[in-house]
Amino acid sequence: MFYRRAGIRHTRYQDERQIWPLPFDRRLALLIFLLAIFAPLLIDRLYLVSYLLPWVIWSTAALGLNFLMGGAGQIHLGYGAVIAIGAYASVHMVRAGLPFELAMIGGGLLSAAVGMIFGATALRVKGLYLAMATLAMQYIVDFVIIQFPAISGGTQATLQVPRVSFLGVEVTGDLAPYYVALLICLLVTLFMLNLRRSSFGRALAAVREKDYAAAVIGVNTFRYKLLAFWVSSFIGGVVGSVLAVCYYRAISPDQFHLDLSIQLVAMVIVGGLGSVLGSFFGAALILFAPILLNQFFGFAASELGMTISTDLRSHVPLMLYGAMIVGFLLWEPLGLAKIYANLRNYFLVWPFRHARQ
Amino acid sequence: MKRREFLTATAAAAVLSQMPIRIAAAQDKVIRFSMPQDFTKVYTFVTAEYSQGQRDYLTLVNLQGGINGHQIVADVSDHGNDLPRAIEAYERAKSEGAVLIDPLSTPVARALVPRALEDKINLITAFSGRSDAADGTAFPYVLPLSPNYWTQAALLIDFFRQKDGDLNGKKICYVHIDTPFGKEPLPILQKLAEQQGFELVTFPYTPPGNDQSAIWPQVRRARPDWVMFWGAGVGQTTALTEAIRNGLDMSRLSSSVWISESDMEVVGAEQCTGVLKVEPCVSGREPELIQEILKEVVEPDKGAGPEDKVGTAYYNYGVMLAAIMVEGVRKAFEKDPDGPISGEWLNAGLRSISDFTAEGLIPATTITPEDHQGGGQGRIAHWDGAKFVPDTDFFSANQDVVWEEVRKYSEEFKKTGK
Repeated sequence: MFYRRAGIRHTRYQDERQIWPLPFDRRLALLIFLLAIFAPLLIDRLYLVSYLLPWVIWSTAALGLNFLMGGAGQIHLGYGAVIAIGAYASVHMVRAGLPFELAMIGGGLLSAAVGMIFGATALRVKGLYLAMATLAMQYIVDFVIIQFPAISGGTQATLQVPRVSFLGVEVTGDLAPYYVALLICLLVTLFMLNLRRSSFGRALAAVREKDYAAAVIGVNTFRYKLLAFWVSSFIGGVVGSVLAVCYYRAISPDQFHLDLSIQLVAMVIVGGLGSVLGSFFGAALILFAPILLNQFFGFAASELGMTISTDLRSHVPLMLYGAMIVGFLLWEPLGLAKIYANLRNYFLVWPFRHARQ
Repeated sequence: MKRREFLTATAAAAVLSQMPIRIAAAQDKVIRFSMPQDFTKVYTFVTAEYSQGQRDYLTLVNLQGGINGHQIVADVSDHGNDLPRAIEAYERAKSEGAVLIDPLSTPVARALVPRALEDKINLITAFSGRSDAADGTAFPYVLPLSPNYWTQAALLIDFFRQKDGDLNGKKICYVHIDTPFGKEPLPILQKLAEQQGFELVTFPYTPPGNDQSAIWPQVRRARPDWVMFWGAGVGQTTALTEAIRNGLDMSRLSSSVWISESDMEVVGAEQCTGVLKVEPCVSGREPELIQEILKEVVEPDKGAGPEDKVGTAYYNYGVMLAAIMVEGVRKAFEKDPDGPISGEWLNAGLRSISDFTAEGLIPATTITPEDHQGGGQGRIAHWDGAKFVPDTDFFSANQDVVWEEVRKYSEEFKKTGK
């Protein structure tokens, strides 16, 4: 009824292999794209700068990590450090007078280089051991940033981001940062959507499923594992520079601690490993659930006369937040994206029972 | 669902999502303070006590009729030291027309500086944030309103000098958490060491500092004349425990403003006797203001928290800061009775506070457009097993060295910031 599959016949391979073979999905994607473009007209400034903007940035970061974890099957507990390298490198470059566009790519390249060095451990170890190696990266990068005042910016350990322009538009105010972040997010999303259709993506999937088997069928695992870390870290570095310039505007080491890495891993897992849509869902849940729950309880305490102490008021949302994550994963271990896919699947031939997908 | 219904529902949802802000902004005769603080992650009980003090004082002010007929509304929420949450709280405060924001968190304060300067909202960074914000010419809307860490270290060094007569040839150990916060006082200490001829030995420990057992035996072996330990939260109690275990002289052990009765109870109130700290305000329940709060707020059961926390060190810090903020409002009304109430309006008030003592709770504080620190005064107190007893009057020391450092960084900020 909604998807109107009746009468859709793919007569060419290209039609079947489109990103969205059904017109309904195409229209939905277009609608969401248009909503994102016109968001500044549709929603209050507050929601634009403190919800939509971080959502777009964190989703891009989650996509970069999802590329590595879902696409190539390599765990990474130091993605916050990757983002930190990109942020610090690009801010230093911008301060040195480089244009932002180049600094962004420069930050990405430096992140990619460092990320690949640590990713090289993936050639030898897997799973938990790789988790430890990437965790080490997190701590080493944190340590280096804090110990070198030349990097962190002196005793105050804060680097101000100077005013920059992106493709001729000054990145100030509320709108420009949002559109810059959206553009980067769009590029990364398109890359991720097309990944599965490319030989690169299929090689990564082979490595993810079993690296020996991939080697047997002729996939160079050495090359693809390193490439996976390279690409993912490059995305992380670019996100770092977007994060610094468009959102934080002043960076300090504590913004990129282990918390950020864990937050991103949680986004990827709750959203759904390997799913593009899941990265967006995961980022939304992890970023906004604490805020919204807190506001709900604040509202309940002040307006509805619910008498609870401040201590409890600030801790209950955290408990609920934890329960929500566990709950969603119990409901659907494959993540929020799978919940959406199940719903979609149900409505695909609704009101009838079964769809062949 | 029909298309028309769908469109109507969407429109209704869009309108509804804008509602809470509009309603809040519509109330007049209200001055909004936004206090998103960290109740859950790093600062925990520190925030709980600090916030309790702030809210009790504001309740007292409101019970007495507010300022110039305006009630002061404090929006307290939890940001959990998480930047997206803090930025959300900041932007919400801004859209609700808050004139002041007090995040009580160093990372959050540092991240909010560019926004506050741009939006002209007063960012209170008491005992947190950038130390160089003391220079009001570079940071017009960032107000520490309290002695910064450089001043606190300088006060302690001067106290040691007062005790020993001369620090030449003495050895001072500085045990600190290995973060920017812990390393902050180092340049001041190094300069003072050069000036006064004492030897400075530094011992960094890894954050969060719940294991310092490798550090303190080294401190003992260094045979220091004085020890300063600089950390936060769990690092402070661990430092105390290890100092006791290593038999260091407690009366020669000192810390910043971040040590309180609660820490002493965790470690053992008796064993800590003698430990020194910097006090930015009077502690305990004796000050007139605290008595007033007890009588008018706590006794009629309008207090914001448990009664036994009233008069603790951090509670009094909260009262201190709230009192200075409210004094700023008072001054702002004196300068410009008709407002309009805005960040700029309050800023003028805050920066013209002169010789304010909060009925004897704090040293005579003067905030000027140049000096946002308020003179950099504090006193040194020691723990007597049950409470902190002052050893000195409020004094200020080594401000030349502190300001040299403040200017060094604020000049750089002026050059590269914005």
